[in-house]
Amino acid sequence: MDSCLKIKKSAEQGLSDFLKSLLEKNEVSGLFTLRKSGVNHDFDYGLITDTQMMKDAIPLHPFMPVNAAQELSRFTGMRKPIAVVIKPCELRAFVELVKRSQGNLEQFLIISYTCGGVFRFEATTAGKAEKQLPAYWKAVSSGKNSDDIRLTCRACEHFVPMHADITVSLIGEKIDQECSLFLHTEKAVKMAESFGEPLSECEMASKTIDELRVQRQAEKHHIFEKIESQKGLDGMIQLFGKCIGCHGCRHVCPICHCVLCDFESHLFDSETEIIESELNSKGALRLPPDTILFQLGRLSHMSFSCVGCGMCTEVCPAAIPVASIFMRTGEETAQLFDYLPGRDVEEAVPITVYKEKELSTLGE
Amino acid sequence: MTINISKGASLPIKEGIEKTILVFLKSLLEDKIFDGILIPMRVPAGDSYAWILVKDSLILDKANPLAPVMPVQGAKALKSLTRKGKGNLKFAAVMRPCEIRASVELAKLNQVHLENITLMSVDCPGALPLSDYTQNPQKGEERFKTLLSGENWGDDSTKPVCQVCDHFSLLPSADFHFGLLTGQAKTLLLIAGSQKGEQILSTHKLSASVSLADWKKRVDERTKNKKKQRADRFREVQKQVEGFDGLLQVFSSCIGCHNCQSACPICYCRQCYFDSEVSKLDLDFILQKAERRGSLSFPLDKRMFHVGRMSHMSLSCVSCGLCSDACPVSIPVAEVFSYVADQTQHTFEYKAGEDRDADLPIQQYRLDEIKGIEKWVRKAEEVES
Repeated sequence: MDSCLKIKKSAEQGLSDFLKSLLEKNEVSGLFTLRKSGVNHDFDYGLITDTQMMKDAIPLHPFMPVNAAQELSRFTGMRKPIAVVIKPCELRAFVELVKRSQGNLEQFLIISYTCGGVFRFEATTAGKAEKQLPAYWKAVSSGKNSDDIRLTCRACEHFVPMHADITVSLIGEKIDQECSLFLHTEKAVKMAESFGEPLSECEMASKTIDELRVQRQAEKHHIFEKIESQKGLDGMIQLFGKCIGCHGCRHVCPICHCVLCDFESHLFDSETEIIESELNSKGALRLPPDTILFQLGRLSHMSFSCVGCGMCTEVCPAAIPVASIFMRTGEETAQLFDYLPGRDVEEAVPITVYKEKELSTLGE
Repeated sequence: MTINISKGASLPIKEGIEKTILVFLKSLLEDKIFDGILIPMRVPAGDSYAWILVKDSLILDKANPLAPVMPVQGAKALKSLTRKGKGNLKFAAVMRPCEIRASVELAKLNQVHLENITLMSVDCPGALPLSDYTQNPQKGEERFKTLLSGENWGDDSTKPVCQVCDHFSLLPSADFHFGLLTGQAKTLLLIAGSQKGEQILSTHKLSASVSLADWKKRVDERTKNKKKQRADRFREVQKQVEGFDGLLQVFSSCIGCHNCQSACPICYCRQCYFDSEVSKLDLDFILQKAERRGSLSFPLDKRMFHVGRMSHMSLSCVSCGLCSDACPVSIPVAEVFSYVADQTQHTFEYKAGEDRDADLPIQQYRLDEIKGIEKWVRKAEEVES
């Protein structure tokens, strides 16, 4: 049983009112949330400091233009906290960044929600999203997987936030009538009290949540099975042969925080003579080189922290299912170290610790 | 710029244009005129093309001098080969005209070394949008075949910038050219554009004895048409993007992934300013910025990025369309950039990638330039007073 603030309004309206009140009562210095932007049915993340601007906020909209963790890690220095409304995988990614000294949890009041997944980019162009919303919210309410969401969302088991100060309960709830905010920390309780309505003790819709988790697991096995046949170097050549080397996957990856990737640095520029001698020994070479090596390098650097947010697939101009591949590999590498990305901010990233006994299976 | 070449050699077409060009290239390898050829090849899965530097003439059989798509700009492949120096071997690069132009621009920017490279171009029918091709490669192959053999080059199955491309044929900066617009299916033309090109013909005992008048007429006619279409299209683009609001609107769905910059052959910076540490800002500073307007959009500087990129590379933009291909949210980046590039290049009487000896406007100082600006300044002063 958790402390809970129930607002008798739709989930999105209730949350918006709550956020607005936080800002009005000066509990937070700003709100970081999804909002409507521009005139073309576009959405972006906005930092709102003026309550007037709350009219554009759509904190629960199923869309992820960027993984918010990337943006939150740009915020350095502290004042009063900022309330942020982010998805569970964005929060997990941010926890991974905090472990890498790329962010700070304390400066935020983190609000997350039981997440029904986000629409694919292609499903949201030209106002298509508005039409799909009723079906989406119906699915969320009844604990079903929706169509048009990212593949990795359909396969995501970690849709209940792990670290939030406040969880908005959506899966299995009457979201058109009620907004249930679960308060997990003292900070959250204090802020909720400022809203001026009594708190109660409640429970989340755990049965529906469990049912959805089972569906998601089945979907995950299905996706993994599909790429299973393309294991090994030959498989990678099949999958990544069409990679254009734009490294868009790395740019939007919340875990890949390097300001300059090795693969884009001078380290990976070959002397012309070296390429020539390689050509002489092989008869033919692909240029630019290192197409597969880049993927392997990235996998080895970040796969155990992969949260399966799916940004990489969304931005791939060559339509490579990058996220499914990375999620599949990430799950296996993380399991090797009993690690779950974003679970615990105290849990060290496997590559940063030395254990005398680990990877014993490799010896066999 | 007009080209003063009046004659070329002719080559009978056997088993299709691609095969004929390949057989010719193969003989260049076997005769040791080149140590390798940079050319597109279909990837093993058959769902796209990649640049391959080929030495082994047997492997060359699998290449395709006329790939339906341009997943990676040829100038980028050339950059990865020669960024650090000219090397010792001699290579030919078989590319589309816009790839030659980008290579010439990169050479001026010291990112490509052309001393040992022979730039070979083909009359280009345009390229298909990458996403159309990857969705259904087989259909893409068929569509391109129809395009190549038909009269409607640059039709609406090609990329928007290809539809209005007026640089689809031999450029003054190319060493060698395969003329396809001969008006008949039996022969193609081999045209030497430089001494390097002439050497190919002479060591191959081919004489430049065929008049190019007919081919030139066809190219000129098509160029004229395309110039008109380009002007028409860009008038529409102008309406869409002009002014601050237009610019905001056209890039309003941008997610800041910078794919356009990564795919652009001209943007060669290893680390864009907009990806640098500068993008990390103090929270107080961000809040102050937000408080001034009530809210602040993230990622920061999404639109500023495009304006910055434009000011850095538009003088060298070759309208290849790679930026649009790479955009995950379907912003018509290439059309906007091409439109602006035409204006900026016109202002400096510069044409990207055409003349190897013309200095980049940003690399030189002229006492007498951008006269148009004086007019704008005067106008602005009048408005103020």
